[in-house]
Amino acid sequence: MREITEDLLDDMARGAGILGTGGGGDPYVGKLLAREAIRRHGPVPLYSIDEVPADATVVPISTMGAPTVMLEKLPAGTEELAVLRALEAVIGRPATHIVPIEIGGMNSLIPIAAAAQAGLPLVDGDAMGRAFPEAQMVLPTLMGVRNTPMALADDKGNTLVVDAVSNHWAEKIARAACVRMGCQLSSADTVLRGSQLRDGLVPATLTLAEDLGRAVRLARAAHSSPVGAALAVLDGTELFAGKVVDVERRTTGGFARGTARLESSHGALELSFQNEHLLASRGGRTVATTPDLICVLDTESGEPVTTEALRYGLRVTVIGAPCDPRWRTPEGLELAGPRYFGYDCDYEPLAGRPS
Amino acid sequence: MKAGVDVGPTNTDAALLDDDGRVLATVKVPSRPDMPVANVRSALEKLKATDLTQVAVGLRGSATSVTRRRELRRVAVLRISGDSARAVRPLFGWPADLRDAVNAGAVIVDGGGGLERDDWTPLDRAAVSRFAAAMAGTAEAYAVVGLFSPLDAEQEQEAAELIRAEVGDMPIALSADLGSLGLLERENATILDAALSGFAQTVADGLGTLCPGAAVFVTRGDGTLMSLEHMSRHPGLSLGSGPASVLRGAGALTGLEDAVVADVGARRVRVGVLSGGFPEEAVGGARIGGVPVGFRIPGLIKVDRPVDDAELAEAVDRLQPGADRLPLVTVGGGAQAVQQGIHPEHGLAAGAIGAAVSPVGGFYERIVRLPDRAAVAAAMDAVMEEARAVAVLAGADPRQTVIIHADETQLDYLPGPFVKLRARAAGPPSRW
Repeated sequence: MREITEDLLDDMARGAGILGTGGGGDPYVGKLLAREAIRRHGPVPLYSIDEVPADATVVPISTMGAPTVMLEKLPAGTEELAVLRALEAVIGRPATHIVPIEIGGMNSLIPIAAAAQAGLPLVDGDAMGRAFPEAQMVLPTLMGVRNTPMALADDKGNTLVVDAVSNHWAEKIARAACVRMGCQLSSADTVLRGSQLRDGLVPATLTLAEDLGRAVRLARAAHSSPVGAALAVLDGTELFAGKVVDVERRTTGGFARGTARLESSHGALELSFQNEHLLASRGGRTVATTPDLICVLDTESGEPVTTEALRYGLRVTVIGAPCDPRWRTPEGLELAGPRYFGYDCDYEPLAGRPS
Repeated sequence: MKAGVDVGPTNTDAALLDDDGRVLATVKVPSRPDMPVANVRSALEKLKATDLTQVAVGLRGSATSVTRRRELRRVAVLRISGDSARAVRPLFGWPADLRDAVNAGAVIVDGGGGLERDDWTPLDRAAVSRFAAAMAGTAEAYAVVGLFSPLDAEQEQEAAELIRAEVGDMPIALSADLGSLGLLERENATILDAALSGFAQTVADGLGTLCPGAAVFVTRGDGTLMSLEHMSRHPGLSLGSGPASVLRGAGALTGLEDAVVADVGARRVRVGVLSGGFPEEAVGGARIGGVPVGFRIPGLIKVDRPVDDAELAEAVDRLQPGADRLPLVTVGGGAQAVQQGIHPEHGLAAGAIGAAVSPVGGFYERIVRLPDRAAVAAAMDAVMEEARAVAVLAGADPRQTVIIHADETQLDYLPGPFVKLRARAAGPPSRW
């Protein structure tokens, strides 16, 4: 056990931004929420998965909706407790631990605020090992664990508990409710027992985010390469370094789809993105795909470049980092592989790595 | 004839242009510290211009006041958002000394809106009046920030009237005028506007009497101009205006719409990009002590003097969209110390010339949910109309104000067509 104190949040947020693979929302807001909650309620105990008792009730808390809207409509700060209490009422037992559902973007830091407010410890891990856009894209789905009951709450105090026939249906219902309830909701779902954490979580990812953020900060201070520092922490592969020479965005069937072309004296790379960066190819050959992590970093600063911020002229480095091996199974790829996102290609393990 | 003036830390430059934008004369006078109006007067006197119809001035006073925590008014902050957004209080995250210099008190009252009509809740008028009365005698200015106010400014205006009813005539900055979504950034910017209102009013009064018969404008960080009246309400918009004017001036002097520009000053070189005739903006906008304030400012790379050629070349290359794709223009008081780049005539006064030739600008953005793609055009028309209205409010000639940029972004993580529509408008300064 260790404690998350205010001074760790900057590094965690920086690392979470990189692990967001272009999406997940700006961790800045999550950082402010976590900082305010820690100032009010004190530091948050952080337990490794091994330290959590088998009969623990571990609740992932997250927000869903449009990060752009959240920048205007910040949370009231009461939603996290509201969803937690609504969920506890349905499952009939109190939560003992909080955990992030994803390690990437603002949802990495919101659970810190939730845990501080609830007076509960946090588990060092998450259910994706990265960021994904939909509620069923979690390792517990692969275990057959249901993401319902799912409690949702808005800033006005409205709550809703979803009980669905499948994890996909819960996502569809929650997304529709989200739009009607102001485009930004808090969610408590996918309850895990302590004994399920090994199969349901990727371990130590909050620590990974912190290590990543710290490595980038220290590299910058030492005038060495922040991208190199990120590569080392992520055990990643540099896929390409160059400049963005073209960005195209279009909407197909209600989904925002985009491609970006990067060029350098060593050739070109094409990046395909939706909410996150999902596919990288060179000369028609796929070099990285979801569910592996494709992180686009500003070459100079090591800051993550989001899909929304991609624009002509940016000088970036594209990194591939291996996803959790459970995503590489046929079931994992069906849930979050390139074909699920509408790309007509199969998963390719990162070059030079065992599949 | 029109004049542009650029008040720098060391020198004040002025340029005289005819109505077609030809440079007739440039002058330089030493700047006296903290006397912006006197510096403009000296420069204009040396220019010996008569029959001026327009004067545009670039000032760095706003930035200086903030950096030195001086001449700042104490601000009462009224946020209209009800329970929404309560998780992060006003002024949270500000550097302690700046917050202490500025903060008179803050409150969150019921009211504010959302994307849809039925998301709006009524303004708690009594709470506004109570807060205004409690702040009387302590606050020297008020900042009013409503949730989703760029979509409907009515509650902010209502609150301003209530404040005036309690405390009389007081500077009140409203966030809706800034036109962009993102509550914390807009709130921080509005607080800054209120804090700078004393300095801004003094400068506006001084400049207003300087050239009887001429319409006087000041430059903004996005490369456009605003009226003195607009500046006195939103002085924060002038942050970053010095480099923005230099970029615009470099474009005007070379006829280039797209270029990398090196502005060689006494102590350092600032390298930026002119894109489509306007400065390429810093990602994330202006920050003060780490606090995002959202004002659009040019993205710059700074290189210390004496200039190391390799270091400068690297900075230029980093800003290039592709290897050697854009020409380099070298301007500024120290331009002769740098060999590289095109050195246009009058480049020493690029900042003053940029001020003189720039239009008045306005920006507006809105998030809309549309039934289908076909509805984008009508929604964009409305957004462009708002951008034009903002430009006219800032002092543009309504008959000649046009849209210079419009774009749409599909919002992530929401089904259906939710789009953010943005438009920028610009027009020549109104003559009255």
